Amino acid sequence: MCNHARVAERDLTYEDIVQIVDLIKSASHFSEFRLKVGDIEVSLRRADRTPSAPAAVQRNFEPAATADPARQAPSRAFSDAAHLVRSPMVGTFYGAPAPGEPPFVEVGQSVEPDSIVCIIEVMKLMNSIEAGTRGVVREILVPDGAGVEYGEVLMVIEPGRP
Amino acid sequence: MKRFDFVDVTLRDAHQCLWSTRMTTAMMTPILGEIDRAGYAYINILGGAVFDVCVRYLHENPWERVRLLCERLKTPCDALTRGQSLYTFELFPDDIVALNAQLLARLGVKVFTVYDALNDNRNLESSIKAGREAGMEINGWMTYTLSPVHTDAYYVERTKELLALGVDFLCVKDPTGLLTPERGATLFPAVVQAAGKIPVQLHSHCQSGLAPRVYEAAMKSGFRFGYTASEPLANGASLPATEEVNEIACRLGFETSMDREILKTIAGYFRWLCIREEKPCGQVAQYDPALYEHQIPGGMISNLRYQLETMKLAHRLPEILQEVARVRQDLGYPIVVSPFAQYMVTQATLNVVQGERYKTIPDEVRKYAMGYYGRLAARPSDEFLERAKIRPDDMVSERPGEHIEAWIPRLRAELGASAGDGDLLLAAFYDRTLLEPLKQAAPAYRFRTTPLHELVSWLGTRRDIEYAHIRFAGTEMTFSA
Repeated sequence: MCNHARVAERDLTYEDIVQIVDLIKSASHFSEFRLKVGDIEVSLRRADRTPSAPAAVQRNFEPAATADPARQAPSRAFSDAAHLVRSPMVGTFYGAPAPGEPPFVEVGQSVEPDSIVCIIEVMKLMNSIEAGTRGVVREILVPDGAGVEYGEVLMVIEPGRP
Repeated sequence: MKRFDFVDVTLRDAHQCLWSTRMTTAMMTPILGEIDRAGYAYINILGGAVFDVCVRYLHENPWERVRLLCERLKTPCDALTRGQSLYTFELFPDDIVALNAQLLARLGVKVFTVYDALNDNRNLESSIKAGREAGMEINGWMTYTLSPVHTDAYYVERTKELLALGVDFLCVKDPTGLLTPERGATLFPAVVQAAGKIPVQLHSHCQSGLAPRVYEAAMKSGFRFGYTASEPLANGASLPATEEVNEIACRLGFETSMDREILKTIAGYFRWLCIREEKPCGQVAQYDPALYEHQIPGGMISNLRYQLETMKLAHRLPEILQEVARVRQDLGYPIVVSPFAQYMVTQATLNVVQGERYKTIPDEVRKYAMGYYGRLAARPSDEFLERAKIRPDDMVSERPGEHIEAWIPRLRAELGASAGDGDLLLAAFYDRTLLEPLKQAAPAYRFRTTPLHELVSWLGTRRDIEYAHIRFAGTEMTFSA
């Protein structure tokens, strides 16, 4: 029987192209590339222009600066009697239980020591923050959704009964 | 001759562990034919992270991926959910859980796998009932961890519960690679004996480097299936390589169905994909005894280090890791998996940074301790309960799904009669804004490829190359820009 098939030629394998591409990447700063391994030959010419930065450098990222310069005002003074509600951690301030819902507290409102006054989201978990004293909310210093620092003053509560 | 069979995780857990779950459907389709013919008993195609990353980051409709993979694969497909939490970490009502099972069955899923991160099997009841009614086989997982209360007897109890729920398969899942051959030598025979006729599977990760030996111990104890991945996407935080475990099985005299030549082609494709996509291949992990102390997965430690750096607290990492172990004890030994791993890490960070233990307790941690997510492995410490102001009558004792009202009537009313079940479920899981990008048309998928084709396409993506000439064997090609 007549066999028209040519002598089985070996196909290019994934191992081959992994090696070829690896070599091409290593030679990225040359404008010409010629490779001959066994029965494989690859020639490349690059356009004459400034080489793009290697991928490894592009992936080098800096942590995003989260601090908002507008709120980095020098720490202000509060009266000795005022109770300051501080953030337990670096996190995000939420004044309401959920978007669109009324806030936990508003300025002028009286609170009990265990009243929830806000939520601080820390590492994706929600921390309900209590007033910590009986009194009246005098100031809310942070806008909803803002990033807060460890120990940052969130609210000022004037102790005592209204 | 005894058999040992394989469940592929290359399309699910392997890239979840090594590529942050970023494998797209387009990366899978060219090699599906080979995976289908490699000899796997089942192919795991879906899990919580895959579903979530599809929606949030890949902007793919996860239902479309499930449909396509089930259509293309003759090998039965396996889909995993987190029981009552499905693909997320919140709890859903029974009607949503049931609709999800019905939809998966309709899309072609044959094996429905469920687990609960607290091993509270009451959280699997509604999934198992709905999955069975929809005609799928049920695979119940129990999660392995190290603690004084997670004894062999504890896992025998969980096995009996799963049997009572009517599972068709049972699996020991070891998410952090904590199993050792020594522990397997007592745990595995106990589970196999308790399981009786129900086949038992092993799903263990390679963080300690011991997993292949653990699989060997499982085979010797009578486990019927092992979850494994194609070699380039195996090892490290991933599962062991199919190739390696298959050789172990053959050496022990088990009959397997794996085709070594096809496995080689699959491995070649994925090794190339790692290069093309600039993603890491799995590396065999070195044995590190510290893993058994804090139990925190490597990926989570690097994530924590990054978070601490942005808070300028990186120098306190060792202290925080130590505190995690103490918090875990105080919380009744939750398993160090999502979401409880995050709870412990965050609580430990708060404790260390504030210089006072449990001064601030996240709401989720408090709810966990009250039994809101399910039964705890052990009672939380008195110190914690006191600081959290949890009284005995605050404790939740009924099945967590019990106290959640049905959602489907409300969602149907919101979305209108024309909304399909898939859309309705997506609306139950996600904000509308996240779903908007899913409406874009899926790309045209390629269902086969060759190394030459891949090389040519890759050269085509290199804007800097203006001329290329390739010659091998009897083929010659020239490209120029």
